[in-house]
Amino acid sequence: MGTPGQEQAGTTQQSETGLSATLDALLSPATESERERRRILALCAPFGLLVLVAGAYPLWEAVRMSVSVEPYESVGFTLDAYAELFGDPYYRGVALNSLWFATATTLASVGIAVPIAHALEKYDLPGEGLWVTLVSFPISLPGIVAAFMILVWFGNTGVLTNLLAAVAGQEPRRVAIATSVPGLFLAFLYSMIPRSTLILRGTYAELDHAAEEAAQALGATPWQTFRYVTLPQIRPGIIGAFILTFRTALAIFGTLIVISALLVWTLQIDRELAGGAFPLAGAMAVVFFAFTFLFTVLGLRYTSAEVGL
Amino acid sequence: MSVSRQAGRPGVAAVLFLAVGFLIAPVLLTIAGSFATEWTGALPSGFVTFENWREVLGLAETIGSQRSMGWDTLLSVGGVALAVPSELFFSVGLALGGVLINLVVGVPIAYVVARYEFRGKEWVNAVSVLPLVPGVILGVAFLRAYPNLSGTSFGLIVGYSLLKAPFMVMAVRSEFESMPLQQLEESARSLGASWPRTFLTVIVPNARSGIVAGSIICWTLAAAEFNFSYVVWAKGTQPLALFLQRHISNSTFTKAAAAVSMFFCIVVAITLLLQRVGTHGFTTRRT
Repeated sequence: MGTPGQEQAGTTQQSETGLSATLDALLSPATESERERRRILALCAPFGLLVLVAGAYPLWEAVRMSVSVEPYESVGFTLDAYAELFGDPYYRGVALNSLWFATATTLASVGIAVPIAHALEKYDLPGEGLWVTLVSFPISLPGIVAAFMILVWFGNTGVLTNLLAAVAGQEPRRVAIATSVPGLFLAFLYSMIPRSTLILRGTYAELDHAAEEAAQALGATPWQTFRYVTLPQIRPGIIGAFILTFRTALAIFGTLIVISALLVWTLQIDRELAGGAFPLAGAMAVVFFAFTFLFTVLGLRYTSAEVGL
Repeated sequence: MSVSRQAGRPGVAAVLFLAVGFLIAPVLLTIAGSFATEWTGALPSGFVTFENWREVLGLAETIGSQRSMGWDTLLSVGGVALAVPSELFFSVGLALGGVLINLVVGVPIAYVVARYEFRGKEWVNAVSVLPLVPGVILGVAFLRAYPNLSGTSFGLIVGYSLLKAPFMVMAVRSEFESMPLQQLEESARSLGASWPRTFLTVIVPNARSGIVAGSIICWTLAAAEFNFSYVVWAKGTQPLALFLQRHISNSTFTKAAAAVSMFFCIVVAITLLLQRVGTHGFTTRRT
């Protein structure tokens, strides 16, 4: 893009001058590179303001809340909430629930999203645009609606419940799984499959088709082509999809309000809030944020993950 | 010849069809069920009734009347009052407010990332496209940071805009990346336009389709935002997602189906509307 070398040189030069000179250059820029710098800052400013007001400051207050001595106002400093969080095996159980469930649902939904993205991008399906719309539609549905969809399938009066009951000759109520852990698993998949597919479709769109055609021409079977030509190319996208889908899974909350089959971190935060244990809820929020932040930063940095939407 | 040649393609296509069935069949059943009087067996029965819809929209008296939607008078002209369902209208407005903020913050930063090279660009990029804070966590943080504002419409709008900003940035950025930005900018500048004028009247109108796409995504996601709303909402008119949750948790199955179907209708309607606006001049293009 343009002359990155020159621009690079311009910025290094500027960083060596003093703060007042930088300010001066921003207020009355003399060179084109100074003007460009001012434009960059001006264009970043609205977003920066939003992140500050709606993100950074509230999170700072959440940190203060978590170390507060009083539940209803932030005063003093104590690490009691964190001590309870890390010392009590109850919370360790909740954390484990969150982690294993998010891992399992992420593996399943990325595993299902790969063939979906493959079929959408590589096969000449009749009405392809319609399939894309249908797979993407659930992205705009909140978790509570995803849970309702699972009730329609597997609830006490659910379609599949009744089918299974008829086949097995049992009461529908006894085979209904909607409000159990498997039902919750499916409700998570309902929200997560469309999101993973969206990420992977972006990866598939950048594939090098010539290499695949060459492999086919040399006699590779479709599976061999996928395994040795396509998969190495989409691996960064798959890792990126894992990271983002795992975050989605950890953050799911609405679904759990309808199907409370498993006590996970977000649901526990809500219970602490309802019980008035504000410092503890704050500590849980801080731990959650720190974990997902570090996980994402490290994940995107130290793997070959590529996130292209 | 080989298993993979024979089974591969049908197998992969079957996963797609099964997944679409799993995702879409309950949507269709829900819409059908909203017009049924009963849904105790496998399929809804007793068609066709509009009672569920009337009750959900607050047009019919219900026993737990607090469960149905309230109606507010929007404006009255000469004794004729135009009333609107309050939850619906409230949510449409909240989500639009969020989209408005997203436009102001999202379009410029998308341009920066697509157009310029500078130190720390990776970080700006990462911060702007990654959903940094989950809704529940942001809700907890808002409760303490803005105790008086968090439950109000202003607090909800600001929260929504932060939560959904990445989607606006992604949509607009990919549009910018497909445009010859430097050429556009240079031609406009060489014709004498100042830089702010170039940005506002040349660059932004040309990225219209990306901006409209981003607005649609942000609007639907903000209207559907449950986690944040659930934590911070205190009293007054409920955002739509909470209204839906109340029905799913407390109402009969057919009535809940009507509430959820109403939500489907809104999502589809707003998507179509914004698409129309997009093709008929969302921003004034000077020719």
